[in-house]
Amino acid sequence: MNRTIVYAKRNFIETFRDPLSWIFCIGFPVVMLLIMSVVNSAIPKESGNTLFRIDNLAGGVAIFGQMFIMLFTAISVAKDRGTAFLTRLYSSPMKSINFIGGYILPMIVTAFIQVIISLTAAVIVSLVTGYDLSIVNLLLTSVAVMPSALMFSSIGLLFGTFFNDKAAPGLCSIIISVGSILGGIWFDIEGVGGIMKKIGMCLPFMYSTKVARASVVRDLGFKEFALPLMIVSCSAVILTVFAGIVFRFKMRADQR
Amino acid sequence: MGYAIRTEKLTKRYKDKVAVDALSLTVNEGELIALLGVNGAGKTTTVKMLTCLTKPTEGKAEIMGHDVAEDPEEVKRLVGVSPQDTSVAENLTVRENLQFMADIYLPKEKAKPAVEKIIKAFSLEEFINKKARLLSGGYKRKLSIAMAVIGEPKVLFLDEPTLGLDVLARRQLWREIEKLKKSMTIILTTHYMEEAQSLADRIVIMNEGKVKAIGTLDELENMTGKKGLEEVFVTMAETEAEGE
Repeated sequence: MNRTIVYAKRNFIETFRDPLSWIFCIGFPVVMLLIMSVVNSAIPKESGNTLFRIDNLAGGVAIFGQMFIMLFTAISVAKDRGTAFLTRLYSSPMKSINFIGGYILPMIVTAFIQVIISLTAAVIVSLVTGYDLSIVNLLLTSVAVMPSALMFSSIGLLFGTFFNDKAAPGLCSIIISVGSILGGIWFDIEGVGGIMKKIGMCLPFMYSTKVARASVVRDLGFKEFALPLMIVSCSAVILTVFAGIVFRFKMRADQR
Repeated sequence: MGYAIRTEKLTKRYKDKVAVDALSLTVNEGELIALLGVNGAGKTTTVKMLTCLTKPTEGKAEIMGHDVAEDPEEVKRLVGVSPQDTSVAENLTVRENLQFMADIYLPKEKAKPAVEKIIKAFSLEEFINKKARLLSGGYKRKLSIAMAVIGEPKVLFLDEPTLGLDVLARRQLWREIEKLKKSMTIILTTHYMEEAQSLADRIVIMNEGKVKAIGTLDELENMTGKKGLEEVFVTMAETEAEGE
């Protein structure tokens, strides 16, 4: 069997059997979706604030959930590096590409499951609130956010490679907080403008949120969907290649 | 019978510290060699070099005729390693751990039968669906060795396999290692004298990265005029201390 798939299977099972991954990857985003929906119901319509309306919220929460994929990739890599388990595998015929693919692949699968669950929760909320969400659009969203899942997973691989299992989760939590704010998930970063918007525009998180939100309402224009998708996809590819190189370098350095 | 391992002035240096100093050793196929020494003697570093986990600074090492520095891919196919620390996937069951290693080393059609064979050979039937993290220390080590053996290695490296185990678990593990003897070449590192004495065909005594003596227990006893490995070891260590 392909060694990347073998390793990916092991990592998927390890994540799947960790209750924390259920709480953070699935439970927390859904809870945030429900809380923000309640908040939205309390916002007077006259205010014109539609950020927490389910069509905006669904995409935002999908990206918020993916940030925990980054956290779990980092924990998984850092934990393995801290034990003799990787030592055993370094002396096996596995190559660095098997390790890199083996860490990223299961996280992409987990991200897909997570997005499907978050969007299903969004459909239920939309039925309750009387807002019409298109299932076809949501299916499109679940595919459109996959480059973003790759990007977060690669950032997790980077953190897990650089830091130990004590430091990596803390640093990922900072990225989750910063990414949520500058990604415009919980407030309108473009409306705020100024330095916040400028920093946000330099980072890929805002574009991930844009892709998710545009696909939920099938607003597939160049500026709203195609350009942000291109930016996210390029960031994902660059970060994956970079994380791969760093992991390979670190693997070799460990063997000196 | 050919050589399974041959090293020539194998050396590993970390900045100013010499971890292994010009180790020259030949191990025959099917032999069980114990590398005996106190902590920091260079046993684990030797194993790391022979299993391609760290590159030698100088010298040469071959596993079944393949140079560890020039042909690591082939060497990795030929060796199995059970590291010093627990090295199992904690959330996977015993069967999943074994299947995982079998899938890495063996072609698909051989992997499943190999798992069944190892479960029987190591008497793991009772625990096959138990997660590794729930196993006792002794069974974790047993699983770790089973995982190292499942790829049908020509040379098996057991790095301090019974470290920290109680006497019963240690004896149980010795029986498993005894069963493996002759079917493959085994390099066992330990600082338990009775372990080396009980299991090894030949014993290599290491100290500060250097080989102090190599031989069967009888040969080592004749060398020092002492009875029992512990006495031999203490005599060698004290002689060296006096020499300094």
